[in-house]
Amino acid sequence: MSKKTPLNLTDNNKLVELQQVSKHFRVSEGILKAVNNVNFDIYKGETLGLVGESGCGKSTLGKVLMGIYPPTHGKILYHGKKDIEIKRSTHFDYSKMAQIIFQDPYSSLDPRMTVGSIVEEGMIIHKMYDKKKRQERVYELLELVGLNREHANRFPHEFSGGQRQRIGIARALSIEPEFIVCDEPISALDVSIQSQIINLLHDLQEKLGLTYLFIAHDLNIVKYISDRIAVMYLGNIVELATSDELYNNTLHPYSQALLSAVPIPDPDKEAQKKRQILTGDVPSPINTPKGCPFAGRCPRATDICRQEKPVLEMKQGHLVSCHHVEK
Amino acid sequence: MNRVLRVDDLHVSFDTYAGEVKAVRGVTFEVAQGEVLAIVGESGCGKSVTAQTIMKLNPMPPARIVKGEIELGDKDIVKATEKEMMSIRGKDVSMIFQDPMTCLNPTMTVGKQLTEAITHHQKLSNEDAHKEALRLLNLVKIPNPEQRSKQYPHEFSGGMRQRVMIAMALSCAPKLLIADEPTTALDVTIQAQIMDLLQEIKEKTNTAIILITHDLGVVASMADRVAVMYAGKIVEIGTAEDIFYRSSHPYTRALLRSLPTTEMDRSVRLVSIAGTPPDLLNPPVGCGFASRCDNCMKICQTELPPQFEVGQDHLSACWLQHEDCPSAKDGGEK
Repeated sequence: MSKKTPLNLTDNNKLVELQQVSKHFRVSEGILKAVNNVNFDIYKGETLGLVGESGCGKSTLGKVLMGIYPPTHGKILYHGKKDIEIKRSTHFDYSKMAQIIFQDPYSSLDPRMTVGSIVEEGMIIHKMYDKKKRQERVYELLELVGLNREHANRFPHEFSGGQRQRIGIARALSIEPEFIVCDEPISALDVSIQSQIINLLHDLQEKLGLTYLFIAHDLNIVKYISDRIAVMYLGNIVELATSDELYNNTLHPYSQALLSAVPIPDPDKEAQKKRQILTGDVPSPINTPKGCPFAGRCPRATDICRQEKPVLEMKQGHLVSCHHVEK
Repeated sequence: MNRVLRVDDLHVSFDTYAGEVKAVRGVTFEVAQGEVLAIVGESGCGKSVTAQTIMKLNPMPPARIVKGEIELGDKDIVKATEKEMMSIRGKDVSMIFQDPMTCLNPTMTVGKQLTEAITHHQKLSNEDAHKEALRLLNLVKIPNPEQRSKQYPHEFSGGMRQRVMIAMALSCAPKLLIADEPTTALDVTIQAQIMDLLQEIKEKTNTAIILITHDLGVVASMADRVAVMYAGKIVEIGTAEDIFYRSSHPYTRALLRSLPTTEMDRSVRLVSIAGTPPDLLNPPVGCGFASRCDNCMKICQTELPPQFEVGQDHLSACWLQHEDCPSAKDGGEK
């Protein structure tokens, strides 16, 4: 297969710009800071992996990026077919350029709609094509994702998990978006089916020039599919780098612990590996203490970590937010 | 070898309105003391049914042991009555489940649930049972056991609940612990903690563990021996090294190659196994994997392959290993 063209990380190739984006939820115990002052860019044609443990805010960030949740603070600029700011009033325009693939292929398809009408619905909403052309597009899309045109008249329950995820992908592609948020698209699937879907997503990206935000917690797969990876902890981006750089030169103590915790399917390597085991659990994102969000579990934490929150800045060639990483 | 469990030619079916689902179709294996046997396979391959049948936890009917033997220590599980099972479960064999939230009683304190398990099998005073409960919570490294034992499950995080489950499973020092996807619901950093704990407990107590999982990474880090299941049968069984480095069954090999490693980038295409597993309502007459196998031969579709010995204690159920098969010997390379 052809090697991927190198990433173009210049300003005029930005697709999405996040400027100090926060998403807070008011809950009875206080304020839940699901996403906290996040700054980064997504470039055209790249796959940006977003990893972190459950509750770190990665799915919320995905939903903010889809315009499903309006951000509490900050703004998101989108430079696609149209230049817009992602907010409620532009949501309709934006939804024609960006789509989402969900984690659970069972609950994300309406059981009472045929596969054909599920895939067609987006085109009807956006008034694309006439009825006959839409039908053709449905067949085309089903074949594109590896299903048959005969499947258009069936219902979701007649399909296996992997096939349903293909239907979800066809639906996302139906309105020809440029940007797709993949929210854990494979974690509900079996190992032998996972690789089918990853290969499909990869082929579609090459064919259609898509940009992906790939949210996942399986680090081996994220490393494989992503050009760059952002590591999230308690609503904050703690490290962001190209995937090789992140794996070979891991700087943030949390990223180090996360990577060392991933079991490798190779007994010899597992036996040799020094595992850095974190104590404790992820703290609650409600009323978080000041200072570094990771300070409570960090083996290197000192007074400054508990007092002052580090900012995400360029250190040793990639973005990291830690007081203890030398410039 | 000090054998703890012997399962011989086990067949388990479920009688459903659509017909008989042959979930387990002839499974044979043994587990020795202090050993970790991992059973891996995709959902629906029968790995959990096998485990549940060892404890007779699946409701019968609809489940039914068609034939086969299960021998736990000197006890015959297949013939055991429900009353006998009550004293076997927890004492000789215990189980930890995937979802620690649904397995704990939300209306009872953690300490109460633990002492209940202890007093069921041992004649201890309430005070002694409580002391024992605290010792167990300490063993699974729950901080402040005294205070924590008075709390309810909802006050515990996922990883902590799984620790409570392990404490409960260990309460009567069983010879065999069945861990059914113990870390699937947990995050990787918590998964690492729990696996570390299981490893430590195994070394301390010399309990045999059956680890059921679909994560080959977890298998590599813990298992001594591995059984790969597909469509209700064990297709390959051997030591972890046999399975990871000298796998001989096409399914095992495809499974291993479908995983991306950290050294791979996207210029290398992932191997995917086309198709889906067979429907066990009408299992195929031949090899279960035949329809998805790249090396499928005529005989694979008509006859079930027996277990061929490919190395010491390394069995593979594939016709490629038959001595008359021309490519039998070059099957080992990747």
